[in-house]
Amino acid sequence: MTINWFQAAILGLFACLCSNSCMAGQAVGNYTIGRPLVGGLVCGLVLGDLKLGIACGVAMQLVYIALVTPGGTVSADVRAISYIGIPLAMVAISSRGMNPLGTSAANLAKSVGTLVGTVGTVLYYAVATMNLVWQSFGWKDVEKGRLQNLYGVNFGWPWVSHLIFSFVPTMLLTHFGASAVTALRNALPMDGIPMKTLFTVGGMLPCVGIAILLRQIVNKPMDFVPFLVGFTFCASLKLNLVSVTIVSLLFAAIMYEVQMAESKKVVVSASAGDDDDDEEEEDI
Amino acid sequence: MDSTKKLDKKTLSKSFNLWFWGALTCFSQEHMQTFGYMASMLPILKKLYPKHEDQVNAIHAYTAFFNTNPMLGSVIVGITASMEEARANGKGIDGETINDMRAGLMGPIAGIGDSLIDGTLIPILLGIALGMSSGGSPVGAIFYIVVWVLLAYFGQRFLYFRGYKLGDKAVEFLVGEQGAAVRRAIGTVGAMVVGGVLASWVNVTTSLKLYNSNGKVFLNLQNQLDSIFPGLLTVLITIFCWWLMSKKHVSAIWTMLILVAISFVGVLVGFFNPGLSY
Repeated sequence: MTINWFQAAILGLFACLCSNSCMAGQAVGNYTIGRPLVGGLVCGLVLGDLKLGIACGVAMQLVYIALVTPGGTVSADVRAISYIGIPLAMVAISSRGMNPLGTSAANLAKSVGTLVGTVGTVLYYAVATMNLVWQSFGWKDVEKGRLQNLYGVNFGWPWVSHLIFSFVPTMLLTHFGASAVTALRNALPMDGIPMKTLFTVGGMLPCVGIAILLRQIVNKPMDFVPFLVGFTFCASLKLNLVSVTIVSLLFAAIMYEVQMAESKKVVVSASAGDDDDDEEEEDI
Repeated sequence: MDSTKKLDKKTLSKSFNLWFWGALTCFSQEHMQTFGYMASMLPILKKLYPKHEDQVNAIHAYTAFFNTNPMLGSVIVGITASMEEARANGKGIDGETINDMRAGLMGPIAGIGDSLIDGTLIPILLGIALGMSSGGSPVGAIFYIVVWVLLAYFGQRFLYFRGYKLGDKAVEFLVGEQGAAVRRAIGTVGAMVVGGVLASWVNVTTSLKLYNSNGKVFLNLQNQLDSIFPGLLTVLITIFCWWLMSKKHVSAIWTMLILVAISFVGVLVGFFNPGLSY
């Protein structure tokens, strides 16, 4: 399998749409086109092997299932994972003649994807830094009262950042990287220390994603309890995620009532009365 | 003569769409969503202030740093639309009030959004989609695209208009006692589902086996650990990462490099072995 210029250019365009500061909007760009599962679908269609594309997408999605970018810090770049990593993984897998649905193909995809994704954060910071130029235009426009220009600052100029740091790198890396990946695989055998380390890290990387989420949720040691209960439900009792969510809603309802009762108690003891204002609050 | 200024649905829709498509298009580490916010307020300012200089004055309420979870954040944009309307009608609201409200809401909304959307809703959707796509079928990916995009668009739209309708009353709800209780409750759902996601999709195992002189295994560490608590290593690694990042203030990238070091040593001593070959 090789990737021609036309295919590489399409992948480059998708990279512009999905990466953070994404030209297709956050929900459609980053959260849809950027997901490895969706990336697998797109790459499969572009490269003409849908099954292999989806298989790679599924494997990489497992690594990045709980990817968050709290405060704009990223640990992996979706454009690199989905539109550089997946195509390269597809080439590597098909050039070795591996079964696309097998475990070793999935692990190879994961190792290529996480490596490219981690290195790809450079692109993320490059785009964000270059956007500072357009923003400086924007501040001048605000100062001079040329408000109409703000649309261009927000929707037009960033395309230049993406042209340089998303489109071109993706196109070059997918076009030329295909042969490099094959060469690299020959140089690094699967049972050597470097590859074993890479696979072991690949297995642990989602822990970092989860830990980033936990940082938002856990403020004191007691906050670990619901997390561990959820873990136990799945690990020991083998519940699926929808079931865990439903059980967790019960605890959430109890938690809400307890909190409300407590805050009411404070209000009542401070200045009795005024507690008839709880209508329809549970529709988040 | 009734001179009350009122935002019509078309202007609000335009503002919402600008936010939906452009919250993060001109992102930088320094200003993050500030420009996305300003762009989405433009139609509102143009509608409310016919005079150009008033528009220019009004935009200065939105030049301060802004960053939040963009999904739930649309409620904040909706609230400011309503506050801007009140300001244009001379209802005792000034730019500072609007700015304080934005600054006060972006933290809590980011916290709820990340745990509710990124930590709970998306892993569930992806979990279902991955199951559908596991045989190499595109159905799961298509399922995710359709369900998520519809949910995101109409959910955010709902939040925007809800924020507009409630105005600063929404603030009371979001950061008041009731808001705190709802946040606690949502946090519980988030924490449990995140735990479930970890157990369902991540599995760190050891390959350490000790052999006696006859070459028979007398200690299979993974089996021993499983009999204590299934998934023990996975939880420990995760808590270790959490500890590094939140207690030791190590960045995510360095945390990953530490994992690389641990893996490398682990592979060398035979503690980890993914057991792969071509």
